[in-house]
Amino acid sequence: MANLDASSSDVTFKPKPSLPPPPNTVGAIGWIRKNLFSSPLNAFLTILSLYVIWVLVSNVFEWAILNAVWEAETRRECLDKVGLAGACWAGVTHWMKNFIYGRYPDAEVWRINLGFGILILWMAPFWFPRVTGKIAIGASAILISPFLLGYLFAGGEKGLFLQLMISIAITAFIFSWLHVLVCLSSGSTLRNVIVSATGFAAKPDNVQKYPVIALFVVLAVVVFALQGGWQLEEQNTNLWGGLFVTLVISGIGIAVSLPAGIVLALGRRSKMPIIRVFCVAFIELFRSVPLITVLFMAVTMVPLFLPEAINPVKIVQAIIAVCIFSSAYMAETVRGGLQAIPKGQYEAAQALGLSYWKMMTLIVMPQALKLMIPNIVGSFIGLLKDTTLVSIVGLYDLLLMLKAVSQNPQWNGIHTEPLFFGAVLYFVLCFIMSKYSQHLERTLGAGQVRK
Amino acid sequence: MSMDAQVENIESHKSTKSDEVVIELLGVNKWYGEFHVLKDIDLSVYQGEKIVICGPSGSGKSTLIRCINRLEEHQGGDIIVNGVTLDNNLKNIDAIRSDVGMVFQSFNLFPHLTVLENCTLAPIWVKQTPKAEAEERAMEYLRRVKIPEQASKYPGQLSGGQQQRVAIARSLCMNPQIMLFDEPTSALDPEMISEVLDVMVELADSGMTMLVVTHEMGFAKRVADRVIFMDYGEIVEQNTPEEFFNNPRSDRTKLFLSQILAH
Repeated sequence: MANLDASSSDVTFKPKPSLPPPPNTVGAIGWIRKNLFSSPLNAFLTILSLYVIWVLVSNVFEWAILNAVWEAETRRECLDKVGLAGACWAGVTHWMKNFIYGRYPDAEVWRINLGFGILILWMAPFWFPRVTGKIAIGASAILISPFLLGYLFAGGEKGLFLQLMISIAITAFIFSWLHVLVCLSSGSTLRNVIVSATGFAAKPDNVQKYPVIALFVVLAVVVFALQGGWQLEEQNTNLWGGLFVTLVISGIGIAVSLPAGIVLALGRRSKMPIIRVFCVAFIELFRSVPLITVLFMAVTMVPLFLPEAINPVKIVQAIIAVCIFSSAYMAETVRGGLQAIPKGQYEAAQALGLSYWKMMTLIVMPQALKLMIPNIVGSFIGLLKDTTLVSIVGLYDLLLMLKAVSQNPQWNGIHTEPLFFGAVLYFVLCFIMSKYSQHLERTLGAGQVRK
Repeated sequence: MSMDAQVENIESHKSTKSDEVVIELLGVNKWYGEFHVLKDIDLSVYQGEKIVICGPSGSGKSTLIRCINRLEEHQGGDIIVNGVTLDNNLKNIDAIRSDVGMVFQSFNLFPHLTVLENCTLAPIWVKQTPKAEAEERAMEYLRRVKIPEQASKYPGQLSGGQQQRVAIARSLCMNPQIMLFDEPTSALDPEMISEVLDVMVELADSGMTMLVVTHEMGFAKRVADRVIFMDYGEIVEQNTPEEFFNNPRSDRTKLFLSQILAH
């Protein structure tokens, strides 16, 4: 009730002060009372669950840690020591290299490490708040890094085109990091530094870009000349395997499916009938077929339709199949997000004179993608796990590598330990993605309350 | 209405209307499926004129002003804005849209952008205004709608009245010659209506051509050069506010006025 001060002739309204809530409804004790022991049945269930958890955890702990064997040369040794009561981690550690790199030669493994190192460094600017032009850096990483990374992994003869693309990729990487260093040290941009150093600062905007482009071209030519004689030994993709293959397939799948999915989703909502029909047909066709079928189609049937001169590589076929399949799924995820954007946003953008593409890229997509982050990351996690299916068409991905240990004479019959390790590894990868998506949701949504 | 007394006290606003026609509607017809929402609408709007459009819901008043910037497509007749005839030519549509500002009932601010970014987005991306200049102009308009201190906040952090004023500033940043208002105060709490109307009155005084769909009859009496009453997709009656409110001619108008002025 309003607290009306009647003593004075003018009635003034004073709101009552806010009081703290009753003590046993807040804090840890309040939480436990409310959530775990709110009724006798709930108290019983809480205690029962705690007992079940204790039994499970203690048994796993005993098997995986207490009784485990870490040093052994064969499975026989493990069995002699503890029998089946303890895990034989020696088998996992002996095969660790294969789990990660497949049968890639030991002497060349640095190429894989370097490739992934470059990719991580290339993406790293995303985590520096002060860096500008993140979209350009990210786009360059996604669009041109595959040439450099692909050559590092596969090696062999470089054609003129590949050499050119590798040069551009290296130059773009150097430019990105020069830009990052400039941003971090002075808060300026690489463009501004180059423009002022070359004395173009007074020139109009559209002329200012020339020294930047010129420097890029010169650097690219230098890189092109330098790496002319440099060649890596060819590594047949049959040797690729383990986590490496899993990450390559799912990484490319992720990088392709998001943009392809956006394009397909926009196409499905397009007013132009040919585009719409094509997109609907593509999405519905590949969504109604299991991934295994698409993989088999790509690996066994597609070569039948190709001329004999073209001898497709199995991993490339599998990657294409995964990309097509995940794009179709991503398209529906994106469409769901697009439908959540109120009509008023489109109308406001149109009323301001924005063209279709500007409206989509500046107004609709930023909001829709933010809403879709949980679903998109969910698809990515699904994709990472689905890549285990490529083992069925004979690619030695992580899962097949984990199973291959048990066929090795020394470790014959060891199933549980490698699969347990694989489960933990997959869990860690997926959990990181999931946590990162939650982090993204928080940072991108900061300061915004939807009405 | 409670605002009447207030309005009487204020000296009548000088009309900024000129003889130049900026919007011309000739026999405009529109259907939503089977529903005939606009029937043979003829209307000329003069430079600097302020028109208030009222009528019961479903009478086609919102549709009418939404046809002027082609948010809705008309199926018969001609709409000529600033000498450009609206047809399927996208260039014409874009040209007209950057000349015609629009304020919506539900504000439709972009929730992922700050207030300042909301105001600078279209000037930067449509008119290629340099960022610094666009920001300077946006701040000027935010001062005009009296919320420069909210520039770095997001729309979701503002009250409805503040959001609507930002929406007005956002439209003004494109330097429009004509402003369309689609029930700008209908979604607002009573205490916030006047802050938005004040901004609109000020805008009217500056000579802007305005078409306002509203039920704020006080506003109509105060600033309108002409009041248009619509029902069943037709213009039933149009007149100066004095004549419209004091001597309504058609029985439909009398009924409408008696209902909205009853309380």
